[in-house]
Amino acid sequence: MKKSLKDFTRKKQMYGRMFILPWEIGFVLFFLQPLVQSLVFVFSNVTVNFDEGVFETKWVGLSNIRHFFYEDTVYVDNLVDSLTSFIYTIPLIVALSLIVGVLLNQKFKGRIVFRSIFFLPVIIATGVVMTYLQGDATAQAMRSGSSSGNGIDISNILMSMNLSENVSSTLLGFVNQIFDLFWDCGVQIVLFISGLQSIPEQLYEVCRVEGANKWEEFWYVTFPMLSGTTLLVIVFTAIEIFTDSGNKVMTYGFNAMRQNMWWEGPTMLWVYFALVGAILGLAVLLIQKKIFAKWAN
Amino acid sequence: MFKNKNKSNTFTPERKLLYKKRTLSVVVNVVRYFFLLALSYVVLFQLFFMISYAIRPKADIYNPSIVWIPSDITMDNFKMAFEELDYLKTGFVSLWLMEVSAFIEVMVCAVIAYGFARFEFKEKNLIFFLVLLTIIVPTQMLIIPMYLNYAHFDILGIGKFFIDTFHLPDFRPQLLNTGLTFWLPSLFGVGVRSGLFIFIYRKFFEGLPRELEEAAYVDGAGPLRTFVSVILPSSGVVFLTVTIFSTIWHWNESYLSDMYNKGNPPLAVKMDYVKTDLLKDSRAAGMAACLLFIAPMLIMYMFLQRKFVQSIDRVGIVG
Repeated sequence: MKKSLKDFTRKKQMYGRMFILPWEIGFVLFFLQPLVQSLVFVFSNVTVNFDEGVFETKWVGLSNIRHFFYEDTVYVDNLVDSLTSFIYTIPLIVALSLIVGVLLNQKFKGRIVFRSIFFLPVIIATGVVMTYLQGDATAQAMRSGSSSGNGIDISNILMSMNLSENVSSTLLGFVNQIFDLFWDCGVQIVLFISGLQSIPEQLYEVCRVEGANKWEEFWYVTFPMLSGTTLLVIVFTAIEIFTDSGNKVMTYGFNAMRQNMWWEGPTMLWVYFALVGAILGLAVLLIQKKIFAKWAN
Repeated sequence: MFKNKNKSNTFTPERKLLYKKRTLSVVVNVVRYFFLLALSYVVLFQLFFMISYAIRPKADIYNPSIVWIPSDITMDNFKMAFEELDYLKTGFVSLWLMEVSAFIEVMVCAVIAYGFARFEFKEKNLIFFLVLLTIIVPTQMLIIPMYLNYAHFDILGIGKFFIDTFHLPDFRPQLLNTGLTFWLPSLFGVGVRSGLFIFIYRKFFEGLPRELEEAAYVDGAGPLRTFVSVILPSSGVVFLTVTIFSTIWHWNESYLSDMYNKGNPPLAVKMDYVKTDLLKDSRAAGMAACLLFIAPMLIMYMFLQRKFVQSIDRVGIVG
């Protein structure tokens, strides 16, 4: 009896490995190999022979990286720009999608319609279409509601509230920012809604019995139960922004690749990736330790 | 009746609470609808903007008195965009190259995720960590080595080794400008955002009850058979989600296909190529091109959205 059980577990292990084997092959061929090669590019002088499909690399140590920090005039600026925008856009996107997700998860009239609409950015806001629209200043102005003649004129509303110019322009900038960021929220909202759906109803019932209000319900049930989803959304958002072709470091990296400077692109991106990875890792650790651990106890 | 109630008792604490609750719910509703409508406006605005410009005749484009509704409807912009994009041909390339890859990916990722979800083996967590790594590392970092490899496809340099040692002619196939540049990675579960799909599938499969599978095992079905006949039929919801995402992301993919398939560009890449031509005169033709580009996905979404939007309720992707 015992022996057959052992056989069974061993068999199951083998089955599991069988299912995953294709992925392992693909990982080595289409991920690990190019990744290592591009890492080698960072520390080498590369010459590519296209006819034979080979490249020769000559080890140059850190000089490629040094080039970007000491000689290149644009890279560091771009890097700082990207990283700072990174730090404030991610929390905004995550918060916005969480709010919308919670709202759409409630039962009210028309939520199906709203859900369909809120997924549309995933279809419309693609890199290509956005470049068509962004070339279009009027469209942008109209979208932010500051157009003349139609739409909601937010600046007028703010003006009529007798706010000082400074305050109203900051507010307006903030509203515009939210409108723009909303385009990046489609997938995150879907993730949050499905995360919300997986919270067992009993927890809310307990809350109601204990007499907690909605706000407490959110902070003591919804939010901690969403910790896994939130982490996923944070990572997903970070990658989206990180690899967005509108990102300055990315564009710069692309152009370098098109000029056949083979070591430039990988170097720029590796440095960028390492920095972003470090920030992201730190953030995820902090979130897990500080915020979510509090509820876990 | 209302009067009666008011007369019959003064403001008891319960009544006060009830009123408070009622006003609160009205306020919540107002705020909710306002917020959601404002955001919907942002999205729908863009769509209507595109449509409004795409059907405008030339005279209306710079006419300031016309804001939304053009004086006349014309198909000229669509015709121009259609020809510039070579729509039927590039659209077919998109279908053949990208959507076939999407289909392969949807299937393969499910199989792989099942391995992660249901079987225990020592190195599982380590390998799943590597899956997550493939989500995080951007393809831009891999593109040059990948490009060179596709130009002379080789497996870990084995082909090159044989050619060099035995002085063989170059037998390594050239894969650039063929569909294999996308199909191969998809086939091995490392295609466009495959890692994320494996993640989603795994979460879903883990949530399925084990009893059915055990029954299948007892009946002597192998694991693959169990997967096909027990797991697949009860996973329609997650398949729908992954299919929609994969289809859309493949359709929109332009970076990799711009590198690998320059000679045979899919729609997303062609859009980029003809952009300056289209936007030369006015934005109308450009907006028509955008509409033509998103139309297939929009139509697909319209057909599937009811099921999809409801299915979000049940996928429980994460948690």
